[in-house]
Amino acid sequence: MRSRTTVLLLALALFASGQTWQIALPGYRYEFPRDYFNHPNYQTEWWYYTGNLKTAEGHRYGFELTFFREGIHLTPQAAQSEDPTWRPDQIYLAHLALSDIDGGHFFHVARLNRAGPGLAGVSLEQRREWNGNWQVLWTDLSSGRQQLQAMCDQFKLTLALTPEKPAVVNGKDGVSRKGPEPAETSQYFSFTRIEARGDLYKGGTHAALSGLAWMDHEFFSGPARTDLAGWDWFAIQLENGEELMLYRLRLKSGGISPYSSGTFVDSSGAAHFLDASEFTLSTGEQWHSSASRASYPVAWTISVPSLDLRLSEWTDLKNQELFDRNRLTPTYWEGAVSYAGAIQGKPLTGVGYLEMTGYAKDFGSGESSQVNLGSGRHFQTRSGTNRTRE
Amino acid sequence: MAARLILFFRLIIAPLTRERLRTGLTILAIGLGVGVVVAIDLAGQAAAGSFHSSLQSLTGKGDLLITATGGLDEKILGRLVSLPYAFDFTPRIEDFAAINGKGEAVPFIGLDLIGHNSDAISNLDQGSGPDLLKDGDAVWVGASLKLHAGQRVSLLINDQMRRFTVAGILQPRKNEINEQNVIVADIGLAQRVTEKIGKLDSIDVTVPAGGSIQFWQQLLRRQVPASVLIEPEGERTAENRKMLAAFRLNLRVLSYVALIVGAFLIYNTISISVIRRRNEIGVVRALGGTRMLVAGGFLCETLFFALIGSGLGLVIGRLMAVTAVKLIGNTVHALYISSQPAPVHLTWSAAAAGVGLGIAVSLIAALGPALEAARIAPVEAMARGCEEYTFTWRSNRLGLYAIVLLCVGALLAELPPLHGAPIFAYLSVLLLVAGTAAAIPATVIRFSATGTGLLRKLPGAAPLLAMRSLQASLGRTSILTAALATAVAMTASIAIMVGSFRETVQVWMNDQLEADFYLRPAGWTGPDQHPVMNPDIADQIERLPGVAAVERSRVYPFSYQGAPATLAGAETSSAENVNARLFLPGENRSEIFSKLQTGNYAVVSEPFAYKHRVHVGDTLHIPMAGETQNFTVLGIYYDYSAENGYVVVDRHTLLKYLPDQAESSLAVYLKRGAASDTLRKQIDQIITGRAVLIFPNRALRQAAIQIFDRTFRITYALEAVAVAVAVLGIAGALLAMVIDLRRDFALLRFLGGAKQQIRAIILSEAALLGLIATGIGVVLGIALSLILIFVINKQSFGWTIQFHWPVALVITALTGIYGATILAGLYPARMAIRMEPIEVIHEE
Repeated sequence: MRSRTTVLLLALALFASGQTWQIALPGYRYEFPRDYFNHPNYQTEWWYYTGNLKTAEGHRYGFELTFFREGIHLTPQAAQSEDPTWRPDQIYLAHLALSDIDGGHFFHVARLNRAGPGLAGVSLEQRREWNGNWQVLWTDLSSGRQQLQAMCDQFKLTLALTPEKPAVVNGKDGVSRKGPEPAETSQYFSFTRIEARGDLYKGGTHAALSGLAWMDHEFFSGPARTDLAGWDWFAIQLENGEELMLYRLRLKSGGISPYSSGTFVDSSGAAHFLDASEFTLSTGEQWHSSASRASYPVAWTISVPSLDLRLSEWTDLKNQELFDRNRLTPTYWEGAVSYAGAIQGKPLTGVGYLEMTGYAKDFGSGESSQVNLGSGRHFQTRSGTNRTRE
Repeated sequence: MAARLILFFRLIIAPLTRERLRTGLTILAIGLGVGVVVAIDLAGQAAAGSFHSSLQSLTGKGDLLITATGGLDEKILGRLVSLPYAFDFTPRIEDFAAINGKGEAVPFIGLDLIGHNSDAISNLDQGSGPDLLKDGDAVWVGASLKLHAGQRVSLLINDQMRRFTVAGILQPRKNEINEQNVIVADIGLAQRVTEKIGKLDSIDVTVPAGGSIQFWQQLLRRQVPASVLIEPEGERTAENRKMLAAFRLNLRVLSYVALIVGAFLIYNTISISVIRRRNEIGVVRALGGTRMLVAGGFLCETLFFALIGSGLGLVIGRLMAVTAVKLIGNTVHALYISSQPAPVHLTWSAAAAGVGLGIAVSLIAALGPALEAARIAPVEAMARGCEEYTFTWRSNRLGLYAIVLLCVGALLAELPPLHGAPIFAYLSVLLLVAGTAAAIPATVIRFSATGTGLLRKLPGAAPLLAMRSLQASLGRTSILTAALATAVAMTASIAIMVGSFRETVQVWMNDQLEADFYLRPAGWTGPDQHPVMNPDIADQIERLPGVAAVERSRVYPFSYQGAPATLAGAETSSAENVNARLFLPGENRSEIFSKLQTGNYAVVSEPFAYKHRVHVGDTLHIPMAGETQNFTVLGIYYDYSAENGYVVVDRHTLLKYLPDQAESSLAVYLKRGAASDTLRKQIDQIITGRAVLIFPNRALRQAAIQIFDRTFRITYALEAVAVAVAVLGIAGALLAMVIDLRRDFALLRFLGGAKQQIRAIILSEAALLGLIATGIGVVLGIALSLILIFVINKQSFGWTIQFHWPVALVITALTGIYGATILAGLYPARMAIRMEPIEVIHEE
């Protein structure tokens, strides 16, 4: 559940369009490997890689690499261009972040492109998603093995990703529902346990890394969600070989949306849907960002009574906020976290990622940037040149 | 120390305030001299072009620049951005657009406004026009273009007028001069409207941290075809500057003329000071003042003049620079690059250079008289009645100097250029001027010996008296004559050079331009600006009955051996064309042209051949279409249209490598007896709705000669200042003479001389001075013009100029100078008349 990108991408261009996008419908039949790649009939789509890695000496890192695709409706005049190369009808955004947990540093960079002459894209023929030289190449479509590569001024990361379980579909009947409206849905599947091995080059040094990664792929054509304040999303990889994904939608009214949900993946790889009534989330320690002045609950307690699971979540690197000083992209917190607790009375630990949106205020409007979802705001000049460097 | 200061003030400064007018003239002369130097320096900087600097302020400064002749395939960009290194690539379309089709074209830049790095964003952030994505006609404009957001604007790009919407105004970044005379569009739109679909003009590269630029350059080199050029950023600017270097050096040297003329005047002024203060010098020396003190005093006086004069020069220079930029800008535009002149910017270094030069030249000029003053023996100086300064010139020795200087000067003119600059030729000019100055005393004596005899026969005593006076003050007059002669010689030589050049170009055009009509896209064109036309225009014209042939040509700017040059694909098959190019002697045109069509052969223009040392039979390596193509040079032809030089290949050969059918220009030949008027109307009909200009043969020639004349305006302006300085000097010297000879004038009046007679004496003296100076100046000028035409011009630009006598031009210039000289005598004459004879005599 990564609908926060709609924030940015719908802000790019949402004007009355004659063309209608494909809505994510129940009963969708996933076809792999075709569905690993792009679905241009859907307006919004993303590929999301996160993971917890360690060097041989035990130095911990977290990484995030995400590729977004957003379909844009052009006016007939703009669409008339005889040459489609630079036609801005598909916009590709990408985020790269590295959490140096034991070094106490957090790096993040964003990148925006159109397809152009091979600048960004997603291609089944080329078996890859890419934005400039950030790319994931599917080296083996049947096993889902992938090669990840990303770099910025501060570091370069290459990882070989080998799924240990096949992809699981989130939600019910092939659709992940986010609200009561028919279109408030998405097609959403995940690789919840991926073995990751690779190299990190940073500041003239090299480190071999290994650990566990998580991959989400989601596509939809959602309408504006004006009642949402934000959300909290958890990816949990337990040491006993099971995984848990949970998200909580916070309403502006202060309550929690009944459409919050989750997925439990057992050690055999089978997925079990969890609805909002099946889990509770409560916040602990707050971390205050001096950059955005937002306060994030960086410690949580998670309880899933049906699984007899209790976990507490914490992070050893509190500042994992993706803050864009130019405020071109929404500010949110997404970082590597640790879990400890017990299942059926047996103590256990885990790692994973936590995403929290809607806590930072948009300086310009005085309201949460996340609620600008599809407010019909025109594409601003500045968003067209959105590329931040930290 | 205090006593010395008081002495300095009493002896040196106080007298200056008494003779305010003469002091003022000297300071003005220095001011003008320094002013011209400063103005040319500033204007040269500014006019050297800001095209690339405005690009840099938009996109930030990269490390490397990737380009290719005829444009880059945009697929290269896709390959480069995938490289696993933290490069930053900024693709660009670089073209020109004329707002509403009028005036000079403004750089029209296409940038990737979605993927662009943040440097540009700060500029593109402004404005609240329509969406970039929504409408696809948005442009962002520089503030200096005076457009506002939301405004609709028509831009002439190539042969079409298109409508755009101003989405925002580009704001200059902090600490940056606003030179944003530029229009920016998204790259897709820019490709479409400049008809460069699938192409990029350049990719700007910022390399990853760590590793040398050369390392990354080589790494990228392996990723692109051989025809793609990867050079360090700033190379192009450096190339442009290098290209302009010869032009600017010549201008700069020209600007020194006024200063050299000014140096003669300083010499004169200090000499007069020395004469005036003989008595005081005697007293100072008798009281124990050393020779050093005396010489130092006069040098301090010079320093005083120089400081105030140079300060004034900075002001004058800054003011003149504005005009100079326009004049120089014309030349730069016509011959070199399309650049928007940058704003004139008086830097500390330019100011220091100007003032330093002013002071140095003044001190050197004053050294002679100051040492002369130091040599005066106290007794001699204090002797009464010895106020008249006797020039201790040693005519034999000076004559010898003159001969040596002139001979060495003549020899230096034979030497080859130094680092591409005609340094020895300039030295030669300097020595010839110095030699002539040294020869002047002897010449004046000869002249007055014969002149006196002639003047005796004239009625009236005034000219005779004037001649005597001239002779008596030979030291001073010869210096003045030298100053004026130098100015005259420079003016004459430049006039002869420009006149010869103009004539040469006209003769060349008569041979070159033989078609009946010429067509090219409207709007500005320049040596690096080649808008194109739709190829169907040529096809339609060709089908008209009465048209014998249409000669198509396509032109690309390219880089050859690190210097900008022009590559042309011309129709070489049409019979009409065979005569059109004038080859260097000894080459067979028709043979060359029939061979040119058969493959990779080229002819090159004379400046190209000169600059790159290319000879017939040599092979040119030109990167095109994926690899480097080799062309054998068949001939070298005369060309005066662009200094950077042409490489001409057959149109079909060029199309093979750069398959773009659009044309840069067309030449239309009519059949014998075809009705020109009717065809003109038919052609007009074909180009209706297209921004294409049609020139009948004569109009094109006129336009060309107008451009030529425009490019030399700056030269004339510089000469005028040098002459003005010389004339100021004449006025100052005559004024001094009037003061010195007031006793004689009073005596003459006392003896019954009429006011008119006194005036006649002074004006005659001015006239005689002018006559001698003009005579000497013309002789020297002819000698200098030969050096200008055959050495300096050839070494700087590679053009062959045929010597012609621009009689009218020279006579007009000389008459003007001569008239000004006589006018310079008017004020001193009035002063002489106003003096009360009784008072003057009494004073004595």
